[in-house]
Amino acid sequence: MSLAAEAFVSQIAAAEPWPEKATLYQPLKEDQILLSDSASSLAVQTFLRMCGLPVQVSCCANAEYMSPSGKVPFIHVGNQVVSELGPIVQFIKAKGHSLSDWLDDVQKAEMKAYMELVNNMLLTAELYIQWCDDYTATEISRPRYSSPYSWPLNHILAYQKQWEVRRKMNAIGWSGKSLEQVYEDVSQCCQALSQRLGTQPYFFNKQPTELDALVFGHLFTILTTQLTNDELAEKVKSYTNLLSFCHRVEQTYFKEHDGESQSGSSRHSKGSLP
Amino acid sequence: MGTVHARSLDPLPMQGPELGVQADDMDLGEPEHEEKQEVLENKDVVVQHVHIDGLGRTKEDILTYEIADVFRAKNLIDVMKKSHEARQRLLRLGIFRHVEVVIDTAEGADALPNGLDVKFEVKELRRMTGSYNTMVGNNEGSMVLGLKLPNVFGRAEKLTFQFSYGTKETSYGLSFFKPQPGHFERNFSINLYKVTGQFPWSSLRETDRGVSTEFSFPIWRTNHTLKWEGVWRELGCLARTASIAVREESGHSLKSSLSHTMVIDTRNSTILPRKGALLKINQELAGYTGGDVSFLKEDFEIQLNKTLFWDSVLSTSLWGGMLLPLGHKPSCIADRFYLGGPTSVRGFSMYSIGPQSEGDYLGGEAYWAGGLHLYTPLPFRPGRGGFGDLFRTHFFLNAGNLCNLNYGEGPRAHLSKLAECIRWSYGAGIVLRLGNIARLELNYCIPMGVQSGDRICDGVQFGAGIRFL
Repeated sequence: MSLAAEAFVSQIAAAEPWPEKATLYQPLKEDQILLSDSASSLAVQTFLRMCGLPVQVSCCANAEYMSPSGKVPFIHVGNQVVSELGPIVQFIKAKGHSLSDWLDDVQKAEMKAYMELVNNMLLTAELYIQWCDDYTATEISRPRYSSPYSWPLNHILAYQKQWEVRRKMNAIGWSGKSLEQVYEDVSQCCQALSQRLGTQPYFFNKQPTELDALVFGHLFTILTTQLTNDELAEKVKSYTNLLSFCHRVEQTYFKEHDGESQSGSSRHSKGSLP
Repeated sequence: MGTVHARSLDPLPMQGPELGVQADDMDLGEPEHEEKQEVLENKDVVVQHVHIDGLGRTKEDILTYEIADVFRAKNLIDVMKKSHEARQRLLRLGIFRHVEVVIDTAEGADALPNGLDVKFEVKELRRMTGSYNTMVGNNEGSMVLGLKLPNVFGRAEKLTFQFSYGTKETSYGLSFFKPQPGHFERNFSINLYKVTGQFPWSSLRETDRGVSTEFSFPIWRTNHTLKWEGVWRELGCLARTASIAVREESGHSLKSSLSHTMVIDTRNSTILPRKGALLKINQELAGYTGGDVSFLKEDFEIQLNKTLFWDSVLSTSLWGGMLLPLGHKPSCIADRFYLGGPTSVRGFSMYSIGPQSEGDYLGGEAYWAGGLHLYTPLPFRPGRGGFGDLFRTHFFLNAGNLCNLNYGEGPRAHLSKLAECIRWSYGAGIVLRLGNIARLELNYCIPMGVQSGDRICDGVQFGAGIRFL
């Protein structure tokens, strides 16, 4: 469809109320999902909970290929399909729900800047560690990514994904970085976030915004995911206010259903926060 | 047609066994007569030598099988007949541009008085032929490169390669074919391919990369083919508005399957046959040699033709098939059957019968389709003897059904499910035959038995294809 037609259709869809049966699609939790996808998925789920919109999580082996943009997670609402946090926030705004309406223009710009920081730093670092670090790629990323498929398709798809990510790292200039430098970048990013958060409950004081959802998604996943070593988690843990921020969001939005924790129990994840 | 020269032989009938000059008695119009004329009809002859001239890279051992029969000829008529058959067999190997037969009396030190020499003069095909086409169609342009290497190693092996580079898709195919020396009908081939297809009726796009090997062999009057195929299938949505049922099928899967096909074909032609019958039964078992998908698929095709009075032909055909998913996963949209369109049940849009979701047709696990046709020459027979013979008018009655079966129930329940909600149509039209491969049809159709969800094409419908119901 052309851009104009797509915009028209989404405007029409925006008029409909949030249905009972909205679904969020992500890769299989137990065996397949990787750190970066898990973080993005958790960010979207947190955002929807903060808006008070119910959604069912559906785990499919082919979620990445089902998505219209090729990235997970994506939501299926009514007969609309929207993927990634940015477009989902826009979509939900068109339906009349928003977490950041009460911010003034300066704050909105600041929020966008911090979201870009998380996406460019944290997300890219996660991708780098997963796919460009040979040890992690061999031990964790490739086996998990290819687990639903049979030989030889599993190897073909895993290597194809690895080459794609490495090409992207090349394009943005990260391929020259060493693992130590990447950890440093993560540390600096966390420092910036920590400074912005300060002693407030949320980034913009009393009310959570999509920035809170995004930061929670990434930090919580980093803290609760078992990688080859604990260095990434240690970098985050060194900022105590970020740690307590994650606790707070988890308690407020994910402990409602009788102690059911968001991360569930999977080999990859360590369960609850340390 | 090849020529059969018979030198130093008078044209039949013969006068008698006496040698001698017969020029005075017979007015033959022959420009020259040999002095000695052999009379060989009804006389036993012995084929002493059979040569093949003009061989380059072809190895002789495969040809000896084809020409071996000529040695067994007992009289001249037999020699001519067997030579003609040997010529046909040499041509069907696909390695010669043309073959000529020369029958001569035996010469040389060991020549018998009734000995014959048969010589096949052949010209081999070129080592490599290539072709280059550009094609433009539906918002897409592509460049097609073809390469053919007949008789690669000298024993009638054939290697073909085709590559198509387009603005939207790229596809290729590489194929190697080898017959068994002496038994051309027993052969095997290996294929490597990538094909892409777009199916707007299901909002689906499919890319297949695969390798297959197949063995063909005849048993009595039937032809069997055993094939193993490994395909990496990639499915995707054609449009953002694809239904969620089709979206859920997107992704990669690997199919590794063994299949067996049996064909009995006594028709005189594949397109618009006048007599004969076709029976084709195909089984496919996937999943037991690797891969992600696991199913058992059966389908059959029957066609009967009979010429009636006044050059018209009555033709009936029946198709059917069933897909049984093994294991716990449901069947994949790329494996299911589809029905409808100008090549199957006419009067309905392409593959637009059966289960569907939000306008996307999902195919079904069981189907049947039947057709009854009456082909007649064009009224008033214009262009008879030439162009007009390629056209025929036809009157048809088509019916069929496509659905998913509940495999827990018994066969009686399956039959009743296939018998309810039958779609059928009738009409008339004109058929144009394209060579021996394809046909075009322009029909006026009236669809009946339309169920909710089917898309019809009543009125004029155009169809082009190879296989028609």
